[in-house]
Amino acid sequence: MAPTPTTHVAKPTRWTVFLRTFIPWQLWRFAMINLRMLDIIRRSHRH
Amino acid sequence: MARVLVLGAGVAGHTAAAFARKWLGREHDVTVVSPRDYYNWIPSNIWVGVGLMRPEQVTFPLRPVYDRAGITFVHGAARAIHPEGDRADATPFVMVEPAGAPGTRTRVPYDYLINATGPRLRFDRTPGLGPDGHSHSVCTEDHAVHAARAFDTSVARMRRGERQRFVVGVGHGTCTCEGAAFEYIVNLEFELRARGVRDKAEITWLTNEYELGDFGMGGMHFRTGGYVQPSSAFNASLFAERGIDWVTRAHTRAVEPGRVHYEQVDGTVGELPFDFAMLLPPFSGVGITAVDRDGADITARLFQPNEFMKVDADYAAKPYEDWRARDWPRTYQSPAYRNVFAAGIAFAPPHAISRPYATPSGAAVAPAPPRTGMPSAMIGKTVARSIVDMIHGADTPTRTASMAEMGAACVASAGANPFTGTAAAMTVFPVIPDFETYPEYGRDLDRTFGEIGLAGHWIKIILHHLFLYKARLRPGWSLIPE
Repeated sequence: MAPTPTTHVAKPTRWTVFLRTFIPWQLWRFAMINLRMLDIIRRSHRH
Repeated sequence: MARVLVLGAGVAGHTAAAFARKWLGREHDVTVVSPRDYYNWIPSNIWVGVGLMRPEQVTFPLRPVYDRAGITFVHGAARAIHPEGDRADATPFVMVEPAGAPGTRTRVPYDYLINATGPRLRFDRTPGLGPDGHSHSVCTEDHAVHAARAFDTSVARMRRGERQRFVVGVGHGTCTCEGAAFEYIVNLEFELRARGVRDKAEITWLTNEYELGDFGMGGMHFRTGGYVQPSSAFNASLFAERGIDWVTRAHTRAVEPGRVHYEQVDGTVGELPFDFAMLLPPFSGVGITAVDRDGADITARLFQPNEFMKVDADYAAKPYEDWRARDWPRTYQSPAYRNVFAAGIAFAPPHAISRPYATPSGAAVAPAPPRTGMPSAMIGKTVARSIVDMIHGADTPTRTASMAEMGAACVASAGANPFTGTAAAMTVFPVIPDFETYPEYGRDLDRTFGEIGLAGHWIKIILHHLFLYKARLRPGWSLIPE
């Protein structure tokens, strides 16, 4: 098989891929990502 | 009475006009001049481009919204700024070419001007590039519709057993908005899987980025898995997982029917055959001229050679290594005229964020800094506040919105489905790397992160509806943050 740029790149494990669409985990991540984004928005509106 | 004139009705201009109207009494006038009489929520065009949304889901007519809000709307294109008026009348004005009346001109006077005209799409910089050439675009909803039709044609061919080659990325070495093209390629790949034809497709990413994940902002670093990883690893992993090949450090030289030619920084000259290509164009300013009261051309006083407007940035020419975060503008006020401001893509960035390179033949491979989305809206709002305060007596702009002091939250769709879709949710702080404050990576790693998952897709969908609600100036719109 001819080498492609993807040969030497890290790929996610099956567990990681599973978690990406596992709804209970994603509900938790939804909350956490929103908190992080709200922090950025709050800091960016200071000036 | 003061007259605030906003040129452009994109994210920056529309935000500026809406807040100026909200904060100013009705004795003052707020006018918007735009060649388009509808609003386009551009971040969702990528979904139109793969057939998941209709154009009317990402656009709405501006005039009813402005009528309700008390904003005067002029449908036309700004052609020339007369910041000193003319010999007969010292009132500053903008010469506007009304829509549907090419060659005619109308004077629109102002006391304060916000130039938020966005970019001119320079498909002309690369032979054969663009919807009038041989490749597609998702820069406008109309371009995206055409891209979706061509995408459907490719899918139909694959269903008949044919193989199809897709090339997605940028169409010139100086392009920006790599993030939008990135979203498009992963959505395209997701849709091919959803339509059951992924095995018939070869997909290649063609980019001017020196490394994947640069996005015109020098890349990012994230803490993950016990390491500080560059966004290049993040993007490469995403592409490898999805079977997407890539060509980096490339200037696109020409697009022919079914073939794109490129040259890389190391001198490699190559070509990619394609059945479908979506390649974004480089940007310039829209080409507004400036004229003094005697009729002399003073465009160079207000604009950089790339046609973007000069503001309170440090535009001194210096080596890439010498630029500093503080070179970036804070108030977006023109140094030539205190009542003229620029917002969004229309302001001239002082320098590249990503290190610029060139090919041996001299073509620049230099991703331009992004000024879209959240920073664009923040700048529009900040400029509006400063102008309102100046109308009320302040001598100088009262608010700042340096991209070196603000962060950005970005959600890059990687597949649209409420249960199986994903998106890369990212934040960066600050947008412009500040190596004096954050010596190692230029950014605060506690506030710069990225992760892929279904939650990101939910956020992307919510943002789509939230920002369109806000742009329609529905009740409570100003409570929704930029």
